[in-house]
Amino acid sequence: MSSWGSGLIRGLRVTWQNLARRSVTAQYPDAPPELPPRSRGVIALFEENCTVCMLCARECPCWCIYIDSHKEAVPPVEEGARERSTNVLDRFAIDYSLCMYCGICIEACPFDALEWSPEFEYAELDIRDLTHEKDRLREWMWTVPAPPGLDPAAAEPKEIATAQKAAEKAAAASQGQAAEETRDDGGGS
Amino acid sequence: MDVNNPRAATVDLPTPSVGPPADTGHVGALSKLAPEPARYVLNWGRRYSLWVFNFGLACCAIEFIATSMARHDFIRLGVIPFAPGPRQADLMVVSGTVTDKMAPAVRRLYEQMPDPKYVISFGSCSNSGGPYWDSYCVTKGVDQIIPVDVYVPGCPPRPEALLQGILKVQDKIAAESLGDRYPGSPPEREPLRKRLSAKALLRPLIGPKDHDDVA
Repeated sequence: MSSWGSGLIRGLRVTWQNLARRSVTAQYPDAPPELPPRSRGVIALFEENCTVCMLCARECPCWCIYIDSHKEAVPPVEEGARERSTNVLDRFAIDYSLCMYCGICIEACPFDALEWSPEFEYAELDIRDLTHEKDRLREWMWTVPAPPGLDPAAAEPKEIATAQKAAEKAAAASQGQAAEETRDDGGGS
Repeated sequence: MDVNNPRAATVDLPTPSVGPPADTGHVGALSKLAPEPARYVLNWGRRYSLWVFNFGLACCAIEFIATSMARHDFIRLGVIPFAPGPRQADLMVVSGTVTDKMAPAVRRLYEQMPDPKYVISFGSCSNSGGPYWDSYCVTKGVDQIIPVDVYVPGCPPRPEALLQGILKVQDKIAAESLGDRYPGSPPEREPLRKRLSAKALLRPLIGPKDHDDVA
C-alpha cells in the first residue's frame, strides 16, 4: 500500500524532469522546419525531359494531371530524308486539390521529368490556384534536393563506369602511341 | 427495411451549390463601422485568438491533432483548440472526407458558429473530394456546402502546412474589413414572446419529402 502523497511526489518529479528538459516545440514560422528526407511536399516538373508520353496522366489514380500537346514537323537532317514529327508540350497542370501524393506519376515517368520537392507552403485562398500550371511546376524544380549518395560498397553508376572505361582506353591508346613515337625516334637516331 | 415503401427512403440532401450561401451572416454595427485604427486593433485581437473547432472526418484529423500537440503547438499562433462546441468557435477546420450523408451536419454546425467565422479546408478530400472525387457518396469539396477561406493541399498535409494555412487565415483577417465581409443588415430581432420548444430546436435540417408523385 502506497503512503499518502506518494502520487503527488511522483507527479512533481515528472513535472520537474520536464521542466529541466529542453522544449521539443518546433518554431515553424520563425525557423525552417526539419523535414524528413524524401518528404513528399509537391511534385516538380522538368519540362525539357517531358516527351508527352502521357504515362503519368494515365497512371494517376486521381486523374489530376492535365496534359495538352501538339505535333510539330522537324525538317529532315539529311538531304532527301522524310521529315520527322515531335510532340510539343502545351499545357502540363497538376490539380493539387485532387492529388493524393502517391508518387505513381514520378515512378511511371521514364524520362525523370517529375520529381518530389519537400516544399509544402502553398495553401491558397482560391481553390483554382491549387491547379499548378507548367511554369509554376517548373519553379518547384529548383527546390528539389540532390539525390542521396550511394551506399559505401555500391557499384558505380553506369554513366560514370562507361566514361571511366572510355577515358582509360583513350589514355592507353595515347600512351601506346607515345611509346611507339619514342621507339621510332630511337630507331631513327 | 421495406424497399417498396416510399416513406422508408426519405433521405434527401439539399442541392449543393457552389459558393457561399445567400445568407452570409451578420456582425454588430460597432465592428462593422469601426474606423481604420480601431479596425486594426480589432483585427489584431481577432487574428490571435482563433478558437478552433475541428471537424475531423478522416485521417487528416490525425494531422490536426499532431499540430495541436507539443511538437508543433499551434497555440503559439493563438489558435485555441478548446472550444466546447461550434457556438464558441471562430475557426472551423474541416479535415477529412465529407460524405453526402455528413454534409447536412457540416452545414448545420457551420451555421451554429457566431459571425465572424472562418473555415479552413484541410486536405485533398475536403478541398475537392480528393481520391474519392469519383465516388457516389462523397461531396466534391466542402466548399459546395459552406464558404471556405483557405484551402490547405496535401493528402494528408504536413502539420507545418496547417500552420501555414493558419498564417494565411490570420493575414486575411488582418487585411479585411468586416463591413465588406458582411454587407447585409442585421436581422430584426423579434421579441421573445414564448420559450422555444425543444421540438423547434431539434427540427430536422431537411423536411420529409413529399411523396405524392411517387405514390
